Amino acid sequence: MGAHISIPMYQRAVPQRYRLVGQRCLKCGKVNFPPKAVCKYCNAGFEFEEVTLSGRGTVYSYTIIAGGGAPPEFAEQAHCQGSYPVVVVELEEGPRVIAQLVDPPPAGITIGMPVRAVFRKIYEEEGVIRYGFKFRPA
Amino acid sequence: MEGVAIIGAGQTRYGDFPTKGVKELFAEAYLEMLQSVDRGLDPQMIQAAYIGCLSAGSGFQLGQLAPLLMGHVGLPHVNAVRVENACASGGFALYNAACAVASGKFDLVLAAGVEKMRDISSSKGRYWLGVSGDTEYERLAGSTFAGIYALMATRYMHEYGLKREHLSMVAVKNHRNAAANPKAQFRKAITLEQAMNGVPVAYPFNIWDCSPTTDGAAVVLLCNARRARDFTSRPVYLRGFGAASDYLAIHDRSSITRLNATRKAAAEAYKQAGIGPRDIDFAEVHDCFTIAEILAYADLGFCEEGRAHYLLEEGITQLDGKLPVNASGGLKAKGHPIGATGCGMAYEIFRQLRGEAAEPVRQIKNARFALSHNVGGSGGTAAVFIYQRGDE
Repeated sequence: MGAHISIPMYQRAVPQRYRLVGQRCLKCGKVNFPPKAVCKYCNAGFEFEEVTLSGRGTVYSYTIIAGGGAPPEFAEQAHCQGSYPVVVVELEEGPRVIAQLVDPPPAGITIGMPVRAVFRKIYEEEGVIRYGFKFRPA
Repeated sequence: MEGVAIIGAGQTRYGDFPTKGVKELFAEAYLEMLQSVDRGLDPQMIQAAYIGCLSAGSGFQLGQLAPLLMGHVGLPHVNAVRVENACASGGFALYNAACAVASGKFDLVLAAGVEKMRDISSSKGRYWLGVSGDTEYERLAGSTFAGIYALMATRYMHEYGLKREHLSMVAVKNHRNAAANPKAQFRKAITLEQAMNGVPVAYPFNIWDCSPTTDGAAVVLLCNARRARDFTSRPVYLRGFGAASDYLAIHDRSSITRLNATRKAAAEAYKQAGIGPRDIDFAEVHDCFTIAEILAYADLGFCEEGRAHYLLEEGITQLDGKLPVNASGGLKAKGHPIGATGCGMAYEIFRQLRGEAAEPVRQIKNARFALSHNVGGSGGTAAVFIYQRGDE
């Protein structure tokens, strides 16, 4: 069905999902994550060097997904937790990424809050656990 | 470039129609369109058709939806194609139809959209609705479109001091307008208190911030402007049309408090029409979530960036305001049958500019120029149209 991410499709992005591997454009020097065929900053460079991102950044925006707003593959998580936060994080190397936030502070999430990437279970499908990155307060 | 006129338009009521399939919905809108061509038209003169639909790919008909529908209404040999850009499928069908007429290749072209969403279980619906975004990253964060627009809303609140209440003002306004629209899905006004206290979906959104799932179809007929008066005494001219794209993923965009696709499409449409935002008398904008209407105000040039919520506070975009927005009820309350939405906006404007808005309370008086704005997903695509009343 629609949003099903097959195992081979997942597998191809393992360097990004497990280790935050991005690419530095050899033309403009900026860091793309996730990788592109042509640099999204200069729209010209197509040669890159691999760079592993630190995973450190700050919250750029956030939402809290309730049961009714969760995709079906996350329904179990929404059911168990009631809701879960999703954040856009601005990484210290420049790119922004989207992921869940774990252990949100009891006083609430704030924009600008420092976070760091952690390795977590994302969901289970076809009997295979999909792992990837989430963030937690730094 | 040839001038483009709309000479007929039809639309089903939007809503939940268990007894009607996609063919029946399309035919109903098509036949109303034919009726509206007041000097009459031999349908066999129609040369091409662009039909917007999303779920043909994941619902009932994998390919060749357009010939299926044309064969159902007695036009089996027309040059027909399905157009897909998620929620902007109808807008891009209209855009392509307008370009086909403007090019001089065709004189009579159909632009249409249809969606049958209520046949799909909610779990399957949420599966395929989310996949017009960035499936690999946005979706794997556990977010559907509600979550993506919610991220935009939270950032907008942070940057510009937007309050939860402003979001609800959009829902209240559009529900009030839909209450008077016989073609709307929800003909029911809601209070600000109700709108602020719905079931949570994705902070800061509750259920009243989100457009519904909807069945419906809309059809408009475009004609070379030089021939328009052969078919109708009151054509509506398409003076400008623009369309553009943006990064699909929210994390790839430099700003998430504007839609660059809308800005580029609007600039193209205004330039072609030779008018500016101040000349627009009323608009139908893409309010799939309440924040989307707020973003559209600045993206379409109705106000400075970050000032949109003041338009709501001052009542400027209410039906009786200086610049009514979504007199139809918008996606929020008129309904959002994805592929039909962009053409349904053109239907509303066609009727309004001809003084034919159903239920006179909704009729906007003395309008010359109108604008419609249709967005795909969270802003991966957008199409903008500028219309002019034809009796001058």
